[in-house]
Amino acid sequence: MKAFFLITFCVLVLLSVVAWQIQPAPPEGKIPLVWVSDDNPARREQISLFNDLHPNYDLRLDPRANQAGMEKVMLQCLAGVGPDLFDAYSPSELDAFVRSGVAWDVTEELAKRAIDMEKDVWPAILPTGIREGRVYGFPANVAVDAIWVNKDLFDAAGEPYPEGPWTWEEFIEVAQRLTLRDERGRIKQFGFLCDWWQWPQFIMLFGGQLYAENGTRSAVDSPEAIEAIQFMHDLMYVHHVMPTPVDEATMATAGGWGSGTITYFGAGKGAMALGGRWWLCTLRDYEGLNLGVVEIPRMSDTAYRAYGRATVVNRYSPRREQALDFLVYEAGKDYNDLINRQADAVAAVMRYNYTPEFLQNPEHPEEDYNEVWRDVIRYGEADVWSPFVNGQAANRILTKQLDLVKNDQKSAADALRDAAREIHKEMAKTLERDPSLRIKYYRLTGKERPE
Amino acid sequence: MKARRHEFRAALGFLLPNFVGFGVFTAGPVLFSLAISISNWHLHRTIPFRWIALGNFLELFVDKDFWLYSMNTVYLMLGMPVAIAGSLFLAILLSQRLRGIVVYRTLFYLPTFTSGVALMLLWKALYNPEFGALNAAINWCIDTFRVNEVVRALGGAGVSAPTWLLSTKNLVGLEAEEVRSSAAQWGMGARDALIIMGIWIAIGGNNMLLYLAGLSNIPPELTEAAQLDGAGKWAVFRNVTWPQLAPTTFFIVVMSFIGGLQGGFEQARVMTQGGPAGTTTTVAYYIYTKAFEELMVGYAAAISWLLFTAIFVITMVNWRLGSKELNY
Repeated sequence: MKAFFLITFCVLVLLSVVAWQIQPAPPEGKIPLVWVSDDNPARREQISLFNDLHPNYDLRLDPRANQAGMEKVMLQCLAGVGPDLFDAYSPSELDAFVRSGVAWDVTEELAKRAIDMEKDVWPAILPTGIREGRVYGFPANVAVDAIWVNKDLFDAAGEPYPEGPWTWEEFIEVAQRLTLRDERGRIKQFGFLCDWWQWPQFIMLFGGQLYAENGTRSAVDSPEAIEAIQFMHDLMYVHHVMPTPVDEATMATAGGWGSGTITYFGAGKGAMALGGRWWLCTLRDYEGLNLGVVEIPRMSDTAYRAYGRATVVNRYSPRREQALDFLVYEAGKDYNDLINRQADAVAAVMRYNYTPEFLQNPEHPEEDYNEVWRDVIRYGEADVWSPFVNGQAANRILTKQLDLVKNDQKSAADALRDAAREIHKEMAKTLERDPSLRIKYYRLTGKERPE
Repeated sequence: MKARRHEFRAALGFLLPNFVGFGVFTAGPVLFSLAISISNWHLHRTIPFRWIALGNFLELFVDKDFWLYSMNTVYLMLGMPVAIAGSLFLAILLSQRLRGIVVYRTLFYLPTFTSGVALMLLWKALYNPEFGALNAAINWCIDTFRVNEVVRALGGAGVSAPTWLLSTKNLVGLEAEEVRSSAAQWGMGARDALIIMGIWIAIGGNNMLLYLAGLSNIPPELTEAAQLDGAGKWAVFRNVTWPQLAPTTFFIVVMSFIGGLQGGFEQARVMTQGGPAGTTTTVAYYIYTKAFEELMVGYAAAISWLLFTAIFVITMVNWRLGSKELNY
């Protein structure tokens, strides 16, 4: 028996050695780099181009860590086994990375390489890479949404294509005319497709913000924010032009690539849809789709919501100096031209969007609306976030309240007032825990906590 | 003496890997989590680490969300008696001597060794309010039996199929924002959907196997003696089978309580993200949210230890009450 156990033990040791030996190693003489980002064909092509341009590197994607959310990246980095590069998807995510100490301050490093982010990059995306004047990440792309138009459905209804600037009243009239029902009265074609998670976009469009006064106070209970959410609610339940939660479940909305709304729009189930240029990564697969783009109705003094990714270097990476080369690549022409060609949103570096190739991609001559994407970015603004409350906690509170509005169980005013109150309570707890934030809050407001 | 010492050393050598594994991967983390539960450990480095004694536990008692999610957890456990009774019923059916009984047993056990995520995605499709099979059947019944005509004739407002995973309604009318019930919330919604799915998974699962093993251990002479005395099927079940299965039932009840209090994470993560309006967020999912989304590791550890204490107390109560019934 003893011999059996010993032999088993030896076999296991031997197998472990074999496994260790045959694990995929980077090609000889190459420096391995790992990047955590979302996996899609465009990302693979971006990696491939980097590896072609930098033969001394072997850049690989780790999509699994990205799927698990920023918390996994953060824990991996703190444990010393993190990726070399990872993406921050919003200013509040960047803040979380910085405050946990895993984001490397690359202000001086980029300056040494003659990269001036504030001068080169669209201002709307800067907060995703810059925090309190220090640079932590370089924007990988930038997006501002507009309204996609299915021209064939407009033609079938004898409706002229919309042209901006236009008003919400005009929009609702068009959307109602293009909402078609079957003989049982069920909607078979929506006038307007929009995911409910786009609510921050509407708040901005109506002149509201998530936070006010340097993030010291939640502003979701402002009249503008309430009006915006009520408007979204009304698009579903009063004007009946936008999918309700039941319709949304039918479309299996998941967000991101291959999202239900995009495929639904691609299949001709909606005449208009709120989305970004990056939708083309999916919509190009639908043959014969005749598309147009028009700006979202906007009040004169309000902004569009801008979003995108910024790539951050892991402060604890043993290869962080080398990882900087990827940021330089993201600032360069090859990468930005590729982003524009792929339609993975819009290149973050402004000058690469002012080329004839951007306006008219030779591979896709039918896409004659790129100027709209460039125009709307000029009015783009990043989400205002608060350093005084954990973004995820605030999101949990807002999601809960907005679920009730979405399901027609609570008015927008009641839900948002309750949400603001809960967020202020959460802020007070954060201030109690974090002395540095407490001091900062006091300096800004002269108060100990939000009232 | 020397031989015994040698034997002891050899035994220790063989046991050591297990001890080391247990120490490093189980006992160590458990003790570590106990230690951090009395700290304010937060993954944001701007928050200085401090020992706060019972601070986290005191905060928990006034944390409204914690109580709401505890209520959800308890509500989701309401399907437990049905699941246990269903397992017993199924085990009795599958203990009959029929041709191909092994195939039947395998089929009923299938959900247990199928990926949980795959099952949940399947159920999510079944619960689709528009195209799901469940609502198709309900709507067919409503139309065929003219339910709405009858309801309206009786002065009601008519009925429609539930929207399942999208609805905050439930069978006891629990509210989404407060630990109380109201008539407006009465109906069927996401919580009930998870209960039904849980019952389906549990009926053919390990409980059924345990009951099958328990049934095969009942001495046949007991059943035969009862039958000779003229006992019918129900009397045999009530006076022989059920008491003989008491240790198995006791074990299943204890394990179901433990599983129920710890449960709900997978369902919330895959099917509902804890919604709508937090109605399917359980304590286990809340621990995950606090630790890995809001980065409050110390607070999450405190919730874990409170959950452990609740499980421990309930198990002890079960043990005390249950063991009295086992003296036959």
